[in-house]
Amino acid sequence: MKIWRIALVVLGVALLVVGGLVLLQDVAPQRYGGILLWFAGALVIHDGIIAGLVIAVNLTLRKAGRRVPLGVLVIIQGAIVIGAIMALIVFPQIVKQGIGTLNPTILPLDYAANLALFYGGLVAVTAVTIAVYLRVRQPSRRESTIA
Amino acid sequence: MLNGLRRSLASPSRNPRMATVLGRLLGIAFLVTFGTGLYSHFLQDPLPWMVFPTRPTFLYQLSQGIHITAGIACVPLILGKLYVVFPELFQTPPVRSFSHFLERASIALFVAASLVEITIGLLNTFQFYSLFPFPFKQTHFALSFVIIGSLAIHIAVKLDVIAKYWRRRDSFDNDGNVVDFSLPESPKVRLSAAPEDAGQPERVLSATPATSATEEAGEPVSATGVTGRLFAWIDATPAPSSTTSRRGFVATIAIATAAVVAFTAGQSFRPLDGVNLFAPRKAGIGPNALPVNRTARAAGVLESAVAPDWVLTVVNGDASRRFTVAELAALPQYDVDLPIACVEGWSQTASWRGPRLRDLLDTVGADAGVSIRATSLEQKGGFRLMDMGPEFVRDDLTLVALEVNGQELDIDHGYPARMIAPARPGVRQTKWLSMIEVI
Repeated sequence: MKIWRIALVVLGVALLVVGGLVLLQDVAPQRYGGILLWFAGALVIHDGIIAGLVIAVNLTLRKAGRRVPLGVLVIIQGAIVIGAIMALIVFPQIVKQGIGTLNPTILPLDYAANLALFYGGLVAVTAVTIAVYLRVRQPSRRESTIA
Repeated sequence: MLNGLRRSLASPSRNPRMATVLGRLLGIAFLVTFGTGLYSHFLQDPLPWMVFPTRPTFLYQLSQGIHITAGIACVPLILGKLYVVFPELFQTPPVRSFSHFLERASIALFVAASLVEITIGLLNTFQFYSLFPFPFKQTHFALSFVIIGSLAIHIAVKLDVIAKYWRRRDSFDNDGNVVDFSLPESPKVRLSAAPEDAGQPERVLSATPATSATEEAGEPVSATGVTGRLFAWIDATPAPSSTTSRRGFVATIAIATAAVVAFTAGQSFRPLDGVNLFAPRKAGIGPNALPVNRTARAAGVLESAVAPDWVLTVVNGDASRRFTVAELAALPQYDVDLPIACVEGWSQTASWRGPRLRDLLDTVGADAGVSIRATSLEQKGGFRLMDMGPEFVRDDLTLVALEVNGQELDIDHGYPARMIAPARPGVRQTKWLSMIEVI
């Protein structure tokens, strides 16, 4: 394992050096500040905002749903996360569409309507999944109560 | 406080097995995007000795489609991975030693570079450049090495954890709980997040069990002050069952990944075109039923491309010939079906018609095996000049196209003549040709 570790670290450092050299050679120094700003912004937005929101949603659901079966909560939470991830990808497209693109073949679809369509489908699939889950789950619980 | 925070963040999905499983998938996705990205980069800017395959003709369409699609798949994967390891952010003490500092700094660099790389890659697919204060292509290229380098170092640091939790059967005990290898006396200890563990000393099975073993002393958090009350509130929250939560987490990430791929990959992979809800491009939309990357207006060729005195000049040393559109159309015409495949990921196969490049070069007596440089009417920009190696120059399928899909080329598709060659990126299928030189 030690050999592998050393090999990986050497490879990693070598690639970091290549990355640094490419940056030095291809990107003008006055742009480095912008890249650093984005690095810091990425960490703040993820670790500070996104992770915090996820925890808040998780805790709120668990608090609000004391009497709701855990499986149902997990399904609802999953649907919220899937919806949020899709929003992360589609919202910038809607924004850019509002600003305007260089030619009409870029972002030609109605992304807001498609997102609404996707959310409709997500709600329907979530409801069906919960119904199926409750159906499948109930007999086993009755058995365990009897036992 | 950090300890309490870290303990409160414990969750059944936050365990080293999950970190290993997601890390593996994300690592594969990163390596795939890195490999396809390098291929695309060197096709555009080849080193002098490089030779590229010309078959299958859809090779670049496939490789770049995979690049963009895998990049989109990275969004749910990296968010899931970061969720799993999030409590690691609150390690106490924050820095234990110089090597620990280096490790944490490399993780910060890794995470930041990865998030930025994925984000700018995504924004680039719809040319949202106004958002970032640095050049896209060069930064995206440089960061790819930073990320893969940091990935190698990250794997080196976590190698023992990865090895222990690599296989499913080693990672779970008989009750389906994730094994904690950090307890030497009894490796099979349950996670504190499971409700049955309430009586056991508080422990956090984090993504690095080796460090958590010595740190978590099981200090009770007193319910005073705002943070104390917050933690007490969090602790009083009903704890999730570990198996259900874990399965739910895996299913969520899997479905999210499948969804973002399914609803965007139609721009690159035709069978998914019917469910293309969110891709920045749609097959069939555009002049000549083809999407456009750079328009004639953006390239500044609106007048020069339709000038009546337009000629294509073909040069080989002292020999040179000039072809009008009519003269090009009088040469033997060939029909080829080739994809136009953009670096931005979208692609579409079209039927092109025009003379073969090699026939044109034969008129100026060019040898077999020469490279050429094509010049566009564009006045500026990185795509004005295009070099093409002999493997593409001599290919039967490489045309100077005058028509596409049965119509004269639209001005946005390179009227009066453009290059089309197999397995090349769209930005190298030079539009609005004005000169072809043997080099």
